[in-house]
Amino acid sequence: MNAALPWLNTRRAEAIETFRVKGVPHRRIEEWKYSDIHSALTAEDVASAGSATLKISGAPSNVEIIDLAKLDEAAPQWLRDHLAAADPQGAMNAAAFGYATGGVALRVPRNVTASTVHLAVSGRGHARVLIVLEEGASLTLFESHDAATGLRNIGTDISVAANAQLSHIVIAPTAATAIRIDSIRAKLARDARYHAHFADFGAQLSRTDVHVTLEGQGSEARLSGVSALAGNVHSDITTEVVHAIGNTHSTQLFKKAAGGRSRAVYQGRVTVCEGADGVDSQQTAKGILLSPRAEIDLKPELIIFADDVKCAHGAAVGDLEAEQIFYLRARGLPEDEARNLLIRAFLEDAVLEIADESLRTQVWNAVETALPATLEDAS
Amino acid sequence: MLEIHDLHATVGDKEILKGLNLTINAGEVHAIMGPNGSGKSTLSYVLAGRAGYEVTQGSIIYRGEDLTQLAPEERSAKGVFLAMQYPVEIPGVTTLTFLKAALNAQRRARGESEMDAMSVLKRVREKAKALNVPEEMLRRALNVGFSGGEKKRLETLQMSLFEPSFAILDETDSGLDIDALKLVAEGVNAMRSPERAMLVITHYQRLLDYIVPDRVHVLAGGRIIAEGGKDLAHELEAKGYAQIVKDAA
Repeated sequence: MNAALPWLNTRRAEAIETFRVKGVPHRRIEEWKYSDIHSALTAEDVASAGSATLKISGAPSNVEIIDLAKLDEAAPQWLRDHLAAADPQGAMNAAAFGYATGGVALRVPRNVTASTVHLAVSGRGHARVLIVLEEGASLTLFESHDAATGLRNIGTDISVAANAQLSHIVIAPTAATAIRIDSIRAKLARDARYHAHFADFGAQLSRTDVHVTLEGQGSEARLSGVSALAGNVHSDITTEVVHAIGNTHSTQLFKKAAGGRSRAVYQGRVTVCEGADGVDSQQTAKGILLSPRAEIDLKPELIIFADDVKCAHGAAVGDLEAEQIFYLRARGLPEDEARNLLIRAFLEDAVLEIADESLRTQVWNAVETALPATLEDAS
Repeated sequence: MLEIHDLHATVGDKEILKGLNLTINAGEVHAIMGPNGSGKSTLSYVLAGRAGYEVTQGSIIYRGEDLTQLAPEERSAKGVFLAMQYPVEIPGVTTLTFLKAALNAQRRARGESEMDAMSVLKRVREKAKALNVPEEMLRRALNVGFSGGEKKRLETLQMSLFEPSFAILDETDSGLDIDALKLVAEGVNAMRSPERAMLVITHYQRLLDYIVPDRVHVLAGGRIIAEGGKDLAHELEAKGYAQIVKDAA
């Protein structure tokens, strides 16, 4: 808590109350059916988790960065406005808001282009992130996580003003003893774009909650992600895209490969609000099971209240295709190599969604790092 | 080169090949013709080693070695090539990447040194030019969205790139217009050599006007029921399979 800012303390106390009332999410709550945080953590564990460390680097001088741990009365108005407007609904997001003593706020001023800013997340505990892009601004944000242990609970609020564009690439390496929860809430104004990629290689429990509201006409959300899992790890990406207004566009492409006893989850809900005509939404999630004990749950969902919309969704879990493996073997590739080639092609599809070449390479390298274990753990 | 003796093979629980005999010497081109369901494609898959096509009796001796004991990739490395009737689409793997991986996998298995990307590209380009395969096609995902003709041209390109000792062409003419057929046939004919044997599997005689075989075999009910020179193909075309099957009975 920050003694100097009673208004913020009040908001935090409210958020803690929200968390206390809702409690640690458990699998009887539909949205948490595949991620039973309650079995791993008590409310006291959450309350006493402390603060994770966030480090920003690579930001040009015209990008404003504020350390939320040192917030005082000199806090600029834009920050006060955003913190005051923050509405942490989910239990874990509320916990992040209430318990985090630190975090970072980043503002890209009007028409400023910043690429690439690196946000490094380390240690255990809570943290808050606030990303504000003013009109016409552009930012590529690379968020990297270290392989933590214990609870890491990050709440991120994103505001993308008219004509602004945020590319957000997250890499979370395998952390078998970590409970990693990321709650992202993004709001997009007219013609704003939010392109996000989540490369998640699993944790004891890993949950990325992405909530995007397309509030302005012409705004666009492009979400993609890749997971290659082995051992006992878990990775859950749950998205909710709300087309609050017409002529908005969203695409989602998630690819998952699961070996060992790992579990990959995708739940995606697309809501098209009443009167939001001219919405175009595509949602694809595919998984490949590489071991009989791995599990992949894909649950795309469409809720449409408008008449004139173009929405498609698809989900499929399977094994590699025998026909393709035979074709490659008949041309000389040993079975292992054939499977390797096919699984890489399968996953690469989602990684190709990343526009920035250097980050695309970094994500691909992370896939390559995780993949041998995923492929070998086929028992 | 290849001796098939009393070959019986099943797919699932069903016996498809029922005592097939066939001998092909180096330098020869043989054709197998037969009605639908006679076992033509089963024979090609059995020769290539596809899982699910089980040899229950008999033998396939290729250059003195029992082929049925080898994995598909081992057969490939030893010079067996099957040009497939329906080449498989492989999204996400570019044709050139695939060609390099396949060529080097075969070389590795034979204990030869791998070729670098530039040398592979140079060789692929030479072969591609002769088969009218544009560079752009090599950069696309393997067989994905290729027309029937493009797929068959790419199969032929692979055959000329891998230089197999024994090539099986399964219904290479299906889905081809006459120009594409001529182009593919030219590519195949260019591969004819005293060291190489080929087995051309086809339903129609048309292809055999362009790839003229030394011997023609008629497959029906899982067995070779008639054999002859290249004229047998014309006879078949004139009489129809039903009559030949009846004559043989």
